[in-house]
Amino acid sequence: MKYVDEFRDAELGRVLSGEIVATVDPARHYKLMEVCGGHTHSIYKYGIDDLLPDNVELVHGPGCPVCVIPMGRVDDGIAIAGNEEVILTCFGDMMRVPGSEESFIEAKARGADIRMVYSPLDALRIAKANPDRVVVFFAIGFETTAPSTALTLKRAKAEGIENFLCVCNHVTIVPPLRALLDSPDLRLDGFIGPGHVSTIVGVRPFEFIPADYGRPLVTAGFEPLDILQAIRMILGQLAEGRCEVENQYKRVVPYEGNPAALAAMSEVFELRPHFEWRGLGFISQSALRLADAYSDFDAELRYEIPGVRVADPKACQCGEVLKGVIKPWECKVFGTACTPEHAIGTCMVSPEGACAAYYNYGRYAREREAVV
Amino acid sequence: MTARMDEAVEGRVHPDVVEPLCTPEEGCITCGDVAVELTVVSIDRERELALCETADGRRESVEIALVQPIGGGDTLLVHAGTAIARLG
Repeated sequence: MKYVDEFRDAELGRVLSGEIVATVDPARHYKLMEVCGGHTHSIYKYGIDDLLPDNVELVHGPGCPVCVIPMGRVDDGIAIAGNEEVILTCFGDMMRVPGSEESFIEAKARGADIRMVYSPLDALRIAKANPDRVVVFFAIGFETTAPSTALTLKRAKAEGIENFLCVCNHVTIVPPLRALLDSPDLRLDGFIGPGHVSTIVGVRPFEFIPADYGRPLVTAGFEPLDILQAIRMILGQLAEGRCEVENQYKRVVPYEGNPAALAAMSEVFELRPHFEWRGLGFISQSALRLADAYSDFDAELRYEIPGVRVADPKACQCGEVLKGVIKPWECKVFGTACTPEHAIGTCMVSPEGACAAYYNYGRYAREREAVV
Repeated sequence: MTARMDEAVEGRVHPDVVEPLCTPEEGCITCGDVAVELTVVSIDRERELALCETADGRRESVEIALVQPIGGGDTLLVHAGTAIARLG
């Protein structure tokens, strides 16, 4: 398939793997963070870490939007779904994220009208088809997904649809990266930058990482050769003493991002002063809410919500996993009490979560083949 | 999006009865910063929507406001029902 097969070529993968081995300093340990959950998933799906030397460690970042949703927000969604006229709509992964008492799918089994949708536009269609109900879209996601919500709200406003509301949980990628870089318990040598977030925001917003923190970042695509090449580029920068933002995913990511998407987002959303991230705590200006011009669509203003901060289960170490401080299999409940079927933490819920990626691809411990 | 969703888009099936593609078992491309490549079949320029097709022939309606101008046969990168980039 065009744009896919050429980025899964095994021979080129071996060449890149050999170049990586030749680039690293055997006396040094390299810790690289892949920011995006989509990269984590690809790395384990294709066994990319097996192609790396032992002294190149991949650390999984906070870039899975499901994994960073705190339990209190799930409770808020369930409270809204408790209103008789409401149809709550959300993406599939959100259904199993644990709240303090139940998940969306458990609330649905109890009788709440909660439906999975593929896109915000599908939620709007449900609203049009059910004029006597109120359809609430529980929006999650980074800058990749936020434009889709923004365009749908613009469409709803233009078409005068009054029974469509949104609970906005959209988050932004730069503030948590800055929080991670400020964290004293994490020493990173470089970043694999998020590919599709960068399609929207461009690569410019990441220039603070080399400028302020002296770490290289390479924006990467999601195919195996994309990720291997990005790792090769980061290690090349480190070997040459360079430190800058580079773009491996040029076939999709423009330097300036997508101006139409950024304009739609700035019309519909504004920054929240604070937002809670699971495992990372409250981070200033790290999430979006609806702007005043769209307050009629804000479900948080229309319905009463608990808005309570709920502590994570004590046994769960998602916070440390999200920060890359521990590997998923180092968590006390990984693969025993916490599995994809019965997840305690969000990192086990989403296929893009680091714990689920490890579990689904059989990485119960750090067992690696020698690189040939 | 399933063929049933296409039928719903065209008004032949009530949207309530449509099962979405996104399931916990299969994972959700929306939630993981994943985008899929689709080919444009036809364009409704007034509504800024395009009917697009996957490599295995499934069709879906896609928001195209972010990738204008496009034409029939173009390959789009689609995330959450919205085209975020035009390839090639």
